[in-house]
Amino acid sequence: MESINGRSNGGRPTGGGPGEGPSEGPSGSPGGRRAFSRRWVLGAGATTLLTTGLTACGSDGDSGGGGDTLTAFVYGDDAAKIQQTAVDRFNRSGAAKSAKGRVKLERIPGAEYPAKLRTAMGSPSAPDIFFNWGGGSIRDYQEAKQVVDLTDTIGNDPALKSAFLPAVLAAGGLGGRNYGIPMRGMQPVILFYNKSVFAEHKLRPPTTWDQLQDVNAKLKKAGITPFALGGADTWTELMWLEYLVDRIGGPEVFAKIQEGDASGWGDPAVLKAAETVKELIDDGAFGSKFSSVAYTNGGAPAVFAKGKAAMHLMGSWEYSTQLGKFPSFAKNNLGWCAFPTVEGGAGDIRNVVGNPTNYWSVNTRAGNKDAAIAFLKDCASRTYARALVANGDIPATSNAAELLDSSPNPEFAKFQYGMVEKAPAFTLSWDQAVGSDVATPMLTEINKLFVGKSSPSEFVSALKELK
Amino acid sequence: MSHDTLPRPRPRPGTTGERPTGPPPAGHRRHWTKRANPLAGLGSILWLVVVLVPIYAMLSASLTSQDKALTGNPLSPPTSPTLDNYNTVLNSGFGHLLGNTAIVALAVVGIVLVLSVPLAYVAVRTRNRWSGLAFRLFLLGVAIPAQAVVVPLYLLIAKLDLYDSLLAVILPTAAFAMPVSVLVLVGTLRDVSEELYEAMALDGASPQRMLFQLAVPMAKGGISTVVIYAALQAWNGFLFPLIFTQSDGPRVLTLGLFNYVSQFGVNIPALLASVVLSGVPIFAVYLVARRALVGGLMGVGGK
Amino acid sequence: MSAPSPTRTPPGDRAGEHAEPAGSGGPHRPRSRPRPRAAAGRPHAAWALPGVLFFTFFAVVPMGLAFYLSFTSWDGLGDPEPVGLDNWRKLLDDDRLVQSLWLTVLLTAASWVFQTVIALLLGVWAAGRQRNRAVLSAIFFVPFLLSSTAIALLFYALLDPNFGIIQENTLGSSGGAFLAIVFVGGWQFIPFHTLLYQGGARQIPEVLYQAAAIDGAGRYRQFFSITLPQLRHTITTSTVLMVVGSLTYFETVLILTKGGPGTDTAILPYLMYEAGFKSYDFGYASAIASFLVLAATGLSLILVRLTGFGGMRSTREGM
Repeated sequence: MESINGRSNGGRPTGGGPGEGPSEGPSGSPGGRRAFSRRWVLGAGATTLLTTGLTACGSDGDSGGGGDTLTAFVYGDDAAKIQQTAVDRFNRSGAAKSAKGRVKLERIPGAEYPAKLRTAMGSPSAPDIFFNWGGGSIRDYQEAKQVVDLTDTIGNDPALKSAFLPAVLAAGGLGGRNYGIPMRGMQPVILFYNKSVFAEHKLRPPTTWDQLQDVNAKLKKAGITPFALGGADTWTELMWLEYLVDRIGGPEVFAKIQEGDASGWGDPAVLKAAETVKELIDDGAFGSKFSSVAYTNGGAPAVFAKGKAAMHLMGSWEYSTQLGKFPSFAKNNLGWCAFPTVEGGAGDIRNVVGNPTNYWSVNTRAGNKDAAIAFLKDCASRTYARALVANGDIPATSNAAELLDSSPNPEFAKFQYGMVEKAPAFTLSWDQAVGSDVATPMLTEINKLFVGKSSPSEFVSALKELK
Repeated sequence: MSHDTLPRPRPRPGTTGERPTGPPPAGHRRHWTKRANPLAGLGSILWLVVVLVPIYAMLSASLTSQDKALTGNPLSPPTSPTLDNYNTVLNSGFGHLLGNTAIVALAVVGIVLVLSVPLAYVAVRTRNRWSGLAFRLFLLGVAIPAQAVVVPLYLLIAKLDLYDSLLAVILPTAAFAMPVSVLVLVGTLRDVSEELYEAMALDGASPQRMLFQLAVPMAKGGISTVVIYAALQAWNGFLFPLIFTQSDGPRVLTLGLFNYVSQFGVNIPALLASVVLSGVPIFAVYLVARRALVGGLMGVGGK
Repeated sequence: MSAPSPTRTPPGDRAGEHAEPAGSGGPHRPRSRPRPRAAAGRPHAAWALPGVLFFTFFAVVPMGLAFYLSFTSWDGLGDPEPVGLDNWRKLLDDDRLVQSLWLTVLLTAASWVFQTVIALLLGVWAAGRQRNRAVLSAIFFVPFLLSSTAIALLFYALLDPNFGIIQENTLGSSGGAFLAIVFVGGWQFIPFHTLLYQGGARQIPEVLYQAAAIDGAGRYRQFFSITLPQLRHTITTSTVLMVVGSLTYFETVLILTKGGPGTDTAILPYLMYEAGFKSYDFGYASAIASFLVLAATGLSLILVRLTGFGGMRSTREGM
C-alpha cells in the first residue's frame, strides 16, 4: 500500500521517542550520562566500554520465541521497510543457514510501540529481537534480565566494533555495558523552514532570538503562522523547551536534572524558557490551533508543507516524512538551520538536542541467540548503511561520511552530519533521559504550559515536585 | 460495557416475544400519534441533519482523492469520485480484521449462551442459597467496568499463555457480557408460567427437557436480545484487543481501525473509507433484519 | 405416570404469541396440585456452576487481583513487590484523581442531559405510527451501527483543525474537547435510547390520553402530565444504562484527545490506562482501578436499591 505519511507517520520513529508518547517509553539515562560531548558522540577509538570475555549469552535459550524462527518487533513506520529488506536478505544468507535461524519482522504500529513492547515482554510470547531507543528505554528490561549483554559479542568482533561510532554504540547500553546495535539514522532536532515562503517575504533563517522575533512579526503581518507545531503530541512541544533551556542556561541545566536532581528544575533558565514559550504562544507564533494539530497523523507536516506555517522544529526525520508525503516540497522548498541563540544565554548555537539513534536488542529468552546476533551483525554491513542513506538517514556508522554523497539530498545529509559532528554538547531527549515514571507527568506538565493551563512559575513548581 | 443495563422488573409482566414493540391492536388509534406535531417535526428534522451531515461528509470524503481533500472544502461533493481509498483500505488487510471480529463475535455469543442460559434457568427455577448467591454475583457484576480489571486480566492472560491470541479477547469479553445476559434471561424466564413446568413435571419431564422444550422456546425474545447484546460487545470491544493482542494475526476490526489513525494520518479519505467499510457488514444485517435487531436491542433495556 | 394433561401440547407451540397469555401473569389461578410435584423437576444448582466459575475466573478473580496489585509495585516485568499502602497514599494525594473524578461525574451528567432530552423527545415522537416517522427512525438508528472506535475515528477526522469540516481548535481547547466527547457519545447512543423511549411510549395506555383530552388538556400538558410520568421506568432504565455506559468513553478519549488538552479530558479509566500502560506503574494503576471498582459497586448497589432490580422473585412471590 502506498504509504501516505513519511516514515514518521507512526510518531517519532527514529526520533525522540515512541510515537505519541515518548512518555510511554524510554526512560533513564545511559548510566547517568548527560549532555554528550562531541567526542562522546563521534569520537574515534573509544575503547572504554569494552571488556573481554566470551560471547555474551545472558542465559540459556528456551521459552522465548521458540523454534528456529525469531520474532523481531520493530516500530512500524515507513522506515521499517529497511528492516524488512534486511530481514529478507538475512533469511536468504549463509549466516542464517549456519545459525539455523530465520527472522520474522513484526511491525508494531508506532504510537503504541512502547506499551505493546512492554506487555509482550511481560508475556510468554515476547519478541526475540526488539527495536528500542537505547539507554533509559531498556533499563527496566535490563533490570529484569530480559536483554542480552552484547558487550563481549561486540568486543570479540573487530568488524562489529569498528563499524559504529563508539559513542552512539555506547548510548545503546547501560552502565558501561552494551545492549543494543544501532539500526537507524541519527536524530538531531533541526529547525526546518519553507524556503519559498522565506524568499517571498525576503526573510533569512534566524540565528538569534531577536532575529527570530523579527521574522515572526513579518510572517504574522503576511498572515502566515510562524511555526507549525503538532501540540496534540506533547513531545513536539518538549523539543522547544529542550532547545530553549539549552540556549538560555547551557547543557548543564538539564544534565543536573538528568542525574536525578529534581531541584534542577528550579534553575532560572527553566523558568525563562517557560516564559519564552508563553510569550511565543501569546504572540501567536504557533497559531491558535496548534493544540489540536497532531504530528503523528501528519497534520503538522501538512500545515508546514502547504505553506500555512513557515517553520517547523522537528527531528531530522522530518525530511523523509516530507519526502514521503510532499516530495516536491521536500526537494525544492525545504530548508534547515540550527536553533537560534538567545541573547545573553549560555548555550552554544552548535549544541544539539535529540537522539543518537535506535537499536536492536536481543531478549535473553530468545530461542536461538546465535541467529539473533548474526542478524544484528547485518546492521554493520555497508549494504545496510547504504539503504539508510538512500532513505535520507545518516547511519551511525563510522563510514557514514563517505556515503553521504549517495543520499537523495547530499546537502541535507552533510548538514545533519556536520551538526552532530561539531556539536559541543548533545542533550538526550528529556523524556528518554528521565525515568518513564517521571516522563509521563513531565510531558503532561509541558502540555499544560503550552495550552495555558499553568503559568511558567506553576510549571516550574510542578516539575520540582516530580521525583 | 457499552450497553450494560439491568432489566427492570416489569410492573406488567409483558410479552416474551421477540417483538416487544409489536403494535398493540389499538395503537394506531391514539390521537396523539395521529395529529401532526409541527414543532416535533422540526426538531426531528434538525436531528436528522445532525445524524446525516457527518455521514454525508464521511461518504463524500471517502470518495475524494487525498490531494483534493487537503485543499478542497470537505462538504462539497467530490468532483471526480474515486474508489482508490477503498482499495487502499481493502489492501491493508481489512478482510482479515473483519474475519477476526466475526470469529470473536460468534465465539462470545456461543460462550455467553451456553453458560448463561442454564445459569438463568437455575436462578429462576431452583430457589436455594446457592442459586441466590450466583444471581447476586451477576447482579453486582453488572457494574464492574472492564477497564478496572484490565491490568490483572493482562497478568492472567500472560500467565495462561494466551497473550496475543483471539482467545485472549474472546474469554474476557464473554465474561463481561455475562452479567447483563443473565439478568435479561432471568427477566424473561421468570415470566414463564409455573403451571407449564408443573404440567411437564407431571409428564415426568427431566429438568433438561424442560429447559430445551419449554424454557428456551419461551425465552426466545430474551435469547435473541442476549445474542445481539453479546455480539455488540464483541463488535465494539476495544480495550481488551488493545491490551491483550499485538500482532497482525489476532487483530480485530476496532484495533485495526485504531491503527489506521497512525497509518493513514491526515489521509482523511482513507481513514473515513475504513470507517465506512467497518459499518458495511452490520449495515447489511440492519437492512435484512431490522426488526429483529431493533426488537432485540429493546430487550437490552429490559423491555 | 403418563396421565394425559390438557397442557401437553408441544412446548414449542407455546412460543411466540402464545407466550403472552401464558406469561402475562395476573393473579395465578389457585393450583390444585401439591407443590412437591413441581419441585421434582427443578434443575440442580450445579447447572449454574460452569457460568459462575467462568465469570469468577475472568471477572471476579481479576477484581481481587487488582486489589492485591494495588498494594504492590510492579512494572509489568518480573514479579509484583509488596509496598504496603504506598499506592493508596499516592492516590489520595493525587490532584489529578480529584480532577479526574470530577470530570467523570461532569461528563456523565452532561451526557445524561444531552442524551435523555433528545432521546426522550425523539422516542415519544417516533412512537407515532406515521410512515414518515418510521422512515426517519430507521435513519436515526444508523449511527448506532458503527462501533465506538469507528465513530471516534469519524469525528477525529471531521474535527481535524486543518482538513476537517470544523476547522477550529475544537479538540485542543478544554471546552471544545469536553463537548466533543459528550457529543460523540450522544451521537452514538441516542439512537439506542430513542429506541427504549419509543418502546416505552407505545405502552402508555391510550385511555389516559383520552381522559386528558376530555378534560381539555392540550398536547404539551398531556406530555408533562401523562407521557413523562408514564415513562418513569424507561427513564430509570435508560439512566442506568447511561451511567454505567459513560465509563466506556475510554476509547473516545484515547482517540480524540488522549486526555488533553493538559489533563482536561482525562477521565478515570484513561488515568488508569496512562498510569499502567504509559508509565508502567501497574501498582498505582491497580489502585485507581480498585477505586473504580469500589465506586462502580457502590453505584450499582445504590441503583439496585433505588430501582428494585434485585427483586427477581417478586413477581413469583407467594406462589
